[in-house]
Amino acid sequence: MNELGRRLWADPAGRAGTVILLLLILAVIALPPMLPDHRVQPDIVRGAQPPSAHHLLGTDNLNRDVFARVVRGGQISLLVAAGAVLMSVTLGTLVGLVAGYAGGWVDGVLMRLVDATLAVPRLFLLLLLVAALEHIPLGILILSIGATGWLGTSRLVRAEVLRLKALDFTRGAVALGARPSRVIFTHLLPNVTGPLAVATTLAVGDVILLEAGLSFLGLGVQPPTPSWGGMILDAKPYIVSAPWSSLAPGAAIVLTVLAVNLVGDALSHAQAEGG
Amino acid sequence: MSGWLLRRSLQAVLTYFVAVSLIFFLMRLVPGDPLARLSDDRPMPPEAIAALRARYGLDQPATRQFLVFVTQLMRGDLGRSIERGGLPVTALVTERLPATLLLGGSALLLNLTLGLWLGAWQATHRGTRGERAVGAISLALYAMPSFWLGLVLAWAFGIKLRWLPVAFMTSPWLRPGASFAARAMDVLPHLVLPVLTLTLVTLGATARYQRGALTEALALVTVRAARSRGLSESVIRWRYAWRAAVGPMLALFGLWLPMLVAGSVFVETIFVWPGLGSLAADAIASRDYPVIMGTTLLVSAAVVGGNLLADVLHRWLDPRLRDA
Amino acid sequence: MRGRPLFLTLCLFSSGPSLAAQQPIGTGTLVVAGPREALSPVPTLWRNEQFNREISDLIFLRLADVGPEVSTTNERSFLPRLARRWTRRDPRTLVFELDPRATWQDGRPVTAMDAAFALNRARDPKLSPQLATLLRRISTVTANDARHLTVRFTEAYPEQLYDAVYHAPPLPAHLLASIIPESLATSAFIQQPVGNGPYRLSRRAPGTLLELAADTSFFLGTPAVRRILFLVAADGEARLNLLLSGTVDAVDNIYALPNPGRIDKLPDFFYYPVPGLNLQYATLNLRNPADTSQPHPILADPVLRRALVLAFDRETVSKLAFGPFTRTPSAPVSALVGRNAAAPPTLPYDTALARRLLATRGWLDHDGDGMLDKDGRKLQLTAMVPAPVAPRRQMSAQMQEAYRRFGIELLIEPLDIPVFIERRDAGKFDLDFYAVTQDPTPAGLSQSWSCAAPTTTNAGHYCNPIVDSLIAKAAVTSPDPGPLYREAVRRIADDVPAIFIAAQVPVIALHRRFTNVTLRPESLWADVWQWSVVPGQQLERDRQ
Repeated sequence: MNELGRRLWADPAGRAGTVILLLLILAVIALPPMLPDHRVQPDIVRGAQPPSAHHLLGTDNLNRDVFARVVRGGQISLLVAAGAVLMSVTLGTLVGLVAGYAGGWVDGVLMRLVDATLAVPRLFLLLLLVAALEHIPLGILILSIGATGWLGTSRLVRAEVLRLKALDFTRGAVALGARPSRVIFTHLLPNVTGPLAVATTLAVGDVILLEAGLSFLGLGVQPPTPSWGGMILDAKPYIVSAPWSSLAPGAAIVLTVLAVNLVGDALSHAQAEGG
Repeated sequence: MSGWLLRRSLQAVLTYFVAVSLIFFLMRLVPGDPLARLSDDRPMPPEAIAALRARYGLDQPATRQFLVFVTQLMRGDLGRSIERGGLPVTALVTERLPATLLLGGSALLLNLTLGLWLGAWQATHRGTRGERAVGAISLALYAMPSFWLGLVLAWAFGIKLRWLPVAFMTSPWLRPGASFAARAMDVLPHLVLPVLTLTLVTLGATARYQRGALTEALALVTVRAARSRGLSESVIRWRYAWRAAVGPMLALFGLWLPMLVAGSVFVETIFVWPGLGSLAADAIASRDYPVIMGTTLLVSAAVVGGNLLADVLHRWLDPRLRDA
Repeated sequence: MRGRPLFLTLCLFSSGPSLAAQQPIGTGTLVVAGPREALSPVPTLWRNEQFNREISDLIFLRLADVGPEVSTTNERSFLPRLARRWTRRDPRTLVFELDPRATWQDGRPVTAMDAAFALNRARDPKLSPQLATLLRRISTVTANDARHLTVRFTEAYPEQLYDAVYHAPPLPAHLLASIIPESLATSAFIQQPVGNGPYRLSRRAPGTLLELAADTSFFLGTPAVRRILFLVAADGEARLNLLLSGTVDAVDNIYALPNPGRIDKLPDFFYYPVPGLNLQYATLNLRNPADTSQPHPILADPVLRRALVLAFDRETVSKLAFGPFTRTPSAPVSALVGRNAAAPPTLPYDTALARRLLATRGWLDHDGDGMLDKDGRKLQLTAMVPAPVAPRRQMSAQMQEAYRRFGIELLIEPLDIPVFIERRDAGKFDLDFYAVTQDPTPAGLSQSWSCAAPTTTNAGHYCNPIVDSLIAKAAVTSPDPGPLYREAVRRIADDVPAIFIAAQVPVIALHRRFTNVTLRPESLWADVWQWSVVPGQQLERDRQ
């Protein structure tokens, strides 16, 4: 793992991605105490103000500081993204590896279940889950998003494992009598990082936007607590008259996705070189 | 092959049955009486409510309701809308289907051609500045909410420039009896903005997967061997690399459909496209559960069918799988 | 917003409608964008009443229409429509004489049998329980012959004419009598209704539009606006885009659109504020949510309830949500009913007074944490709000914030609509964010604010026998029940059974080329058949 980290750092793109991610995390943790109170009385008379020395990124339609809200929204959005993506990638990889390696009826049963659940639109699943629970604490929201996100990953990983199984080195390991867990974790897992990195990158963007979709239905993070997705949604009517109020959280999402992509790319690259 | 096909089709049917059961029983978890809305804000006597419950079959036990539901489903009956005065859901869904097929089909076609080509170009130009820029832009588009992009496009091309219509599938002035050609010429400009939005926000994923799959394929032993045999790069790319990348790409086929469907809910709403997406959005907003359920069942069927198709194609394109 | 309020009472024809529109001044097309699709634009089959009624009122006429000031008690202000005249045989009997020129759109004459058919359908509690409740004081309806209809009432009261004509316009008995009521909602008649009004339904594209075409055989004269298109766009953004791109002539309420400020710059539009029937409020539960036979431990105190109203800036919040013309009532009166029944003076936004009132009841910040408490108990309440309804979510968040700064902890519970309604009916809440569309008559107050009203409409268990007797008395007082209604409303306001937030006054944007414009508060487009387009200002779509 250390070796992987070293290679990641050696790659300029990987280094850039890591630095951006760390900075983002640091910002949303360290900055909020220094920012003005975001729960000010909404001021409809003044409304949205363009960026100025006083408000770095301007203010939104209720005259709330956009920068402060982006930073605070980042806490929620990054937490949701990290939690849900971590959960779904882990689950998806495990199921995909097991199904792909074991084959036979294990594969059959697992994949039928995955296919069936995957066939139900995620928004619908979430809508019902969230509706059934009445209250939506943040933890449950993360769990629900994570629990509905691993299906695609498992299919991807399985496809990759099937491909690898046909290759010489896996056959060799099995022929030499290696234990299944050893084959899975030392031979197969490292070789699926490529597609996994892609899936993770895209999942981060998905999850942040999905939270916005749920807010749209009134079921996501509750206002006035800001989240990036929710902010874009709130600023939707002002895309033309106050573009800064939706551009700022949008840029934050894009930056996060790009940074994760750089890291993921560099990781799979490093893995390929080492493997 | 035909034995395999039969087995695989049976699997698909089984999968769909599991999905249907899942949808049905998840629906039962939702608390609250779905008919509560019907009483509006005026008092309604209990007998009238009981009659309504009987009409929608809500007075039966869950297992019995499930049996009725499955039998009806097999006859193509999706129940009745609560919000829309008891209209059959099947009728609602089928009248909206063509619009969604047109929008989704155009977007999927554009997504695949552009995305696969873009990903291939990226894979063969890895590490160049142009490739990085293209990669970043397509990812940025992917990370953009579809409603945001749609509204910006509508503002620019519909309101500022007035080049393209901002809503609906046909102009309100189009006569019902218009010829096919006239109808097509009317639909075309209406199609541009929603398809563009839907394609742009999903393009990043296709390109990114294609780039990854092709990069790996190009590094494979067989491809390296071919290269060492002195085959030209373009031959290698087409004969070996694409073929090796086909498997992982097809595995994704089942993922594109839900992605397009999810995207189309917002895009159809913004552009008032009279398809399933806007129907579902309306139904969700009013919690018209039979309609939510009907659209979901249809999408599920499309996804299961899409996966089946992907598997069949995969097997046909990749001979190694046939003896597996 | 640069408002140009035109008075609604301005343009009624002085010489009667039959003379006015006989010579079409020009051709015209009106294109309206609204949020919902009218799926059953047929009287007494309305669901989502407002949207269906606005269209059905163009296809189906009533025997008589309420006049421009929408007075339900002043019989002389009613306008003859399908009925040419009506007489009172005795204090409990009205006899209508139908206009012999009136025909159904299939050529058959409109008869007294049709009117009796519709009224009797509406009075059947099995078919239309809600209408049956409203029409409970009609005892019999009989067609004497093809042209004469007799309606008998259980007692003498001033709203007899309103009850007889408003809720159940005539339906074509010759077409509907053979259809069993259960299958009516899905019958071909709903898809292609046959009416008797100025317009017929000429085209329906599901989820997209309804087109009405002027009926050239309309007995009061062919309308000058030959065609009306109702476009459906559920998304506010999409409706705004339709307006800004010049596709539509009217949107139903610009303040329901996101960022209505952008509409300011449209030079081709006039803006008409129309007092509406919609009322938004937070019900205060007077009973204990845990045991509805007991009083609420906090909210049963009327002084505290008054303080809750005083501590919340309702005016700013309601104008933010519904536009600058919105009124802030202190009693359950919509803008239209308030106009006719003079609402009591509204409570101001006065946190100092609220604090003093609470102090007299022992609610003080004893422990210095910034929150009020009494006997070691924090002043904490829970408000439920239907999660999918954005304006109410917004108002609940603002109320929460206002109370937090004041020293009251308000927890917000966003709920899915069925759960919201179930909890409401069971009385399991402290506050709820609710909205109603009222009837145009103050007599409708008893549906929600009386001891006899069921919990489905009176969720907070408000009960004041004096108010009940005042409304009951007003309902049978002739000629002017106004003072009694005013007194009832004043008493409800004194009791503070809810935090009344907004009585909406929607503002309609309408293209300026239309003239003779009247917009009716209870049914916006019902008078379009009397409008016309200023000659020389036609657009391309007017000529198509």
